[in-house]
Amino acid sequence: MNISLNWLATHLDLTGKSIQEIDDLFTFAGVEVEGIVIKGITSDKIVVAQVMEAVQHPHADRLKVTQVDAGEGSLRQIVCGAQNYQVGDKVPCALPGTALPGGFTISETVMRKVESRGMLCSAAELGLQAGEDGLLILPPDSQIGKPLMEMFDSDVLLELEVTPNRPDLLSHRGMARELATLLKTPLQPLDLPSRSVGVSPTSAIRIAAPTACPLYTAVRITGVTVQDSPAWLKQRLESIGQRPINNIVDVTNYVLHELGQPLHAFDAAKLSGGIVVRHAVEGEVFLALDASQHILTTDDLLIADASGRALALGGVMGGADSGVTAATTDILLESAYFTPSGIRRTSRRCCLSSDSSYRFERGVDPAGVLAASALAVKLILETAGGSAEVANLTAGEAPVLTRPVALDVAKLNQLMGSSISLPDAEAILTRLGLTKLADATWEVPSFRADLQRHIDLVEEIARVHGLDKVPSRLAGTFVPASASDAAYDADMVLRRRLAALGLYECQTIKLIAGHQVGDSLMARPLLDGDLIRVKLPLSEDHAVMRPSLVPGLLASAVRNVGQQVKSLRFFELGRVFRNAGGGKARDQESDALAILLAGPTEPFGWAQTQRDADMYDLKGVLSALLGGREIRFSPKDRPGFVLACDIKLAGQVVGVFARLAPARERELDFTAPVYVAEFDLAKLRKLLGGIQHVVDLPLFPGSSRDAAMELPLTTANAQIESVIDKAAEPLLVACECFDVFTDPTGVKLAVERKSLAYRFHYRASERTLKSDEVDAAHQRLLAALTSQLGVKFR
Amino acid sequence: MALTCGGFTAIAMAFPMKEQIEAIEKDALAHIAAATSERTLDDARVAVLGKKGTLTLAAAGIKDVLKEDKAAVGQLLNAARAAITDALDATQAALRGIADRAALVGIDATLPARALPLGALHPLTQIRDQAIGILRRIGFALADGPEIEDEFHCFDALNTPADHPARNAKDTFYFDSGKLLRTHTSSVQIRTMEAQAPPIRIIAPGSAYRRDEIDATHLSVFNQLEGLAVGNDISLPDLKGTLEYFFRELFGTTTEVRFRPHFFPFTEPSFEIDVKLQIKGQAPRWIEVAGCGMVDPAVFDAINTSRNDNAYDPEKTTGFAFGMGLDRLAMIRWGIRDIRLLIENDVRFLKQFA
Repeated sequence: MNISLNWLATHLDLTGKSIQEIDDLFTFAGVEVEGIVIKGITSDKIVVAQVMEAVQHPHADRLKVTQVDAGEGSLRQIVCGAQNYQVGDKVPCALPGTALPGGFTISETVMRKVESRGMLCSAAELGLQAGEDGLLILPPDSQIGKPLMEMFDSDVLLELEVTPNRPDLLSHRGMARELATLLKTPLQPLDLPSRSVGVSPTSAIRIAAPTACPLYTAVRITGVTVQDSPAWLKQRLESIGQRPINNIVDVTNYVLHELGQPLHAFDAAKLSGGIVVRHAVEGEVFLALDASQHILTTDDLLIADASGRALALGGVMGGADSGVTAATTDILLESAYFTPSGIRRTSRRCCLSSDSSYRFERGVDPAGVLAASALAVKLILETAGGSAEVANLTAGEAPVLTRPVALDVAKLNQLMGSSISLPDAEAILTRLGLTKLADATWEVPSFRADLQRHIDLVEEIARVHGLDKVPSRLAGTFVPASASDAAYDADMVLRRRLAALGLYECQTIKLIAGHQVGDSLMARPLLDGDLIRVKLPLSEDHAVMRPSLVPGLLASAVRNVGQQVKSLRFFELGRVFRNAGGGKARDQESDALAILLAGPTEPFGWAQTQRDADMYDLKGVLSALLGGREIRFSPKDRPGFVLACDIKLAGQVVGVFARLAPARERELDFTAPVYVAEFDLAKLRKLLGGIQHVVDLPLFPGSSRDAAMELPLTTANAQIESVIDKAAEPLLVACECFDVFTDPTGVKLAVERKSLAYRFHYRASERTLKSDEVDAAHQRLLAALTSQLGVKFR
Repeated sequence: MALTCGGFTAIAMAFPMKEQIEAIEKDALAHIAAATSERTLDDARVAVLGKKGTLTLAAAGIKDVLKEDKAAVGQLLNAARAAITDALDATQAALRGIADRAALVGIDATLPARALPLGALHPLTQIRDQAIGILRRIGFALADGPEIEDEFHCFDALNTPADHPARNAKDTFYFDSGKLLRTHTSSVQIRTMEAQAPPIRIIAPGSAYRRDEIDATHLSVFNQLEGLAVGNDISLPDLKGTLEYFFRELFGTTTEVRFRPHFFPFTEPSFEIDVKLQIKGQAPRWIEVAGCGMVDPAVFDAINTSRNDNAYDPEKTTGFAFGMGLDRLAMIRWGIRDIRLLIENDVRFLKQFA
């Protein structure tokens, strides 16, 4: 909402208040100052000065040294670069200390070795409408030394954001009332003419929707001349950025911004019979004065005439052909109270908002309806002539929205930390317009319907008192850590490990595009109905709740490929969303961890040869991430991916691993294979708890034996591991594969064969093993491998 | 004489014992001095001190020396052995020194590193972790709740009127089921109070959603940190002390913090919090960082109805709540001008946080 400081000053004395003070005042009233536009001259340090002398600057061709009379008794020397003036001209002089609109402050200075004590200004430098180049030449009869702010109109436009609980602030009078409370200064009395009120016969006004419109008043004014508004009225509206239209419309707008009560003027000639306030018929079409067309529901409120024709969408906007035009001579001036919720619904439904609906949907002062009408009638008669009916015709009654509220002093003291005395608290309520009643409750003024409960009074006291006067206390109860704490800590361990392993953590958006869903990788495949889509997405790119982190990571990788990043090493922890069982179990949320690896494993540099990451690199990251715990991969096909495996930890599937299908890699412009893994975080957190107790270090040495095995190319390492596991050799403590050899040429080894070298470690916990014991154990293992897998040893 | 073979035998035969030892020593020292590598030095050692080395053999001859001369010859032998051993050690040290120096020639310390891949936590994780760390230090525990919420937990229980603008399908993501994506993490307040009786002291970091077009200052999915403290005697001084402490820990102990009156449906009184910060190249200014307030008694009423008890008796229970945007805090903290950098995951951006 826009407020003009000059307009505001007609309601209370703001003399001596700087713009900063007024800004702070609003800010601490809870009104956000979103913008301040300074118009004209606001500094009293800019005065009329006469140029008495102007000589060439000794060290600068383009400058002159002037002596000016600024009415100070002695001349002032100022260096000036302008060329458009003559000695004897009167010009604006900014004295040292002036803050100019351009954001700099004038000070006494030395320009090229010549003292300069001020600045002679152009119109633009003063923030006035820019005229010709050079100094602003003032009329010859200007009084020397007079502040320019007295000669030029100036104003400050404040762009304010009022919170929805304070509709009483949505006018100059309302704002002034608030400032007067905060400044403890009196408010100028409002000079409102009194008008008599007559109950309307139903033939003139009939309210058929009393809940939506409890009070409707109208005045008929005949013989008006519709024309331009007088200058003062135009200026008021322009000062808050409103465009003047004609005297009738301008008066209604003026009253709205003056008192906060929206009014509407109908052209009486366009009405057939009296006013009927009724709900719309389902599907009824309304053409608004902004030419928009609306199809209404029975919840929308219409101001219609006796013929049934809709004249206005009640409280929101007038109709296309019921308003005042240049030809209008008789008007019907509406002033009413509309119930906020109905106006809000209609405004939303029709996407139609106006200064009027903005106020009605927040709630106008029911007791202000007639006063606003009276002011408007007076101003219309002044600006448009004509004559008004003696009384306002009214239908319905002003609703009473306030009731006495008790102030609980004990609770006030508790909440405020006893930082305010009761008399001070009561003084604040009194200044806010509340009245203490005999039973110690407080009567609330009609414009403060937001004050309904004890706590509402406390809020007012706290707000006006200010939190800066409340002491700070740092105390709290001890609380046990929660399951969320444990999960958070576990996740941070994983995050830190992955960052230490040379991966970048990503944050991707949780709404993905439908076409990205195919990139999802998860243990439980998606069935039809398992995806969760938002009803009204902003765009198709953000339409589906991500069922997996992989699509987002892939999109991030693609983005980086576009920036010529070669080494793609990313991870993300975050929530994923899906239904299960084809939509049977709905809205399941779980936390996931995903990793993506592609491109060079090491940075480009002189000291290393680059190699694209392969699946064993990602396996390595996973092993390191899981603290060296033994993870097993069991191949399981996943659509859209190749080499897919379930990742098992302690016998449980905790995640999925795969390479993106090569066709998809090409489609996304990857030039290296892309490996991804996604884990179910809840399972990882459970399995990754720290160790229960340490394992004692071995007291006796062990010994190892190597075995080079030759076997078919198609035999999986997992099969060897499985045979070794099942053999359960008691002396075997560990084994590792340390060489894999194949020969695609078939020279050293048949093409369909491979050679694997394993090292087996044997140890007994209670004694040093003898060589023949180790040999025997080793032979048992080799025999098992031979018998079960046909392994040959070389 | 039992002396038999070895390169130095002739000397042993030709001279008496004393001269023989002196000659061996002199010869050995000459060989040691002539050694140019550890290998030739070792040859010299073996030739003198090895099993069949000259001094070893000479020492074996002591058994033939007259009894009265044995002590003197023994001393001579020991002295020669010591001199030779010292010379061997010194020469070995010298040769190793030369080799060590030679091994360093051509190493250019100014060549760049054999680089390891860098990684980093996302800035949002970093700011969230810092914020959580501060609040845990003053006894807040973490809480969590679903992001796909119902209207009760997101709006009704938070005293938000049925026709409040935030409930509009234009501002909030809804699902066909009638559920919605939570518009704030405040819904976690409700879920926590439903499940737990007071005292409550929780913080809830998490995502929130608003139907905003993504631009330099808006994301449709953003990150918040919610806090709630409920008990018997929680007051404005607690709210003020806690949040002043938090922002001074986060932005520096001398940071100015102010509380501006504001309005939220679920707190009363409500405030917005500004901190005075200097952004690079600008004058210090007040920057809005959070919203807060005392829990509105209407929220406690809703909780009691939902719990079907009076655990949150509005006559006795008070509390404060606060919420802040973590994306915004990250932007303020690191001078990030475009919020989209936080979701684009450009390595050139992320590596700055390594």
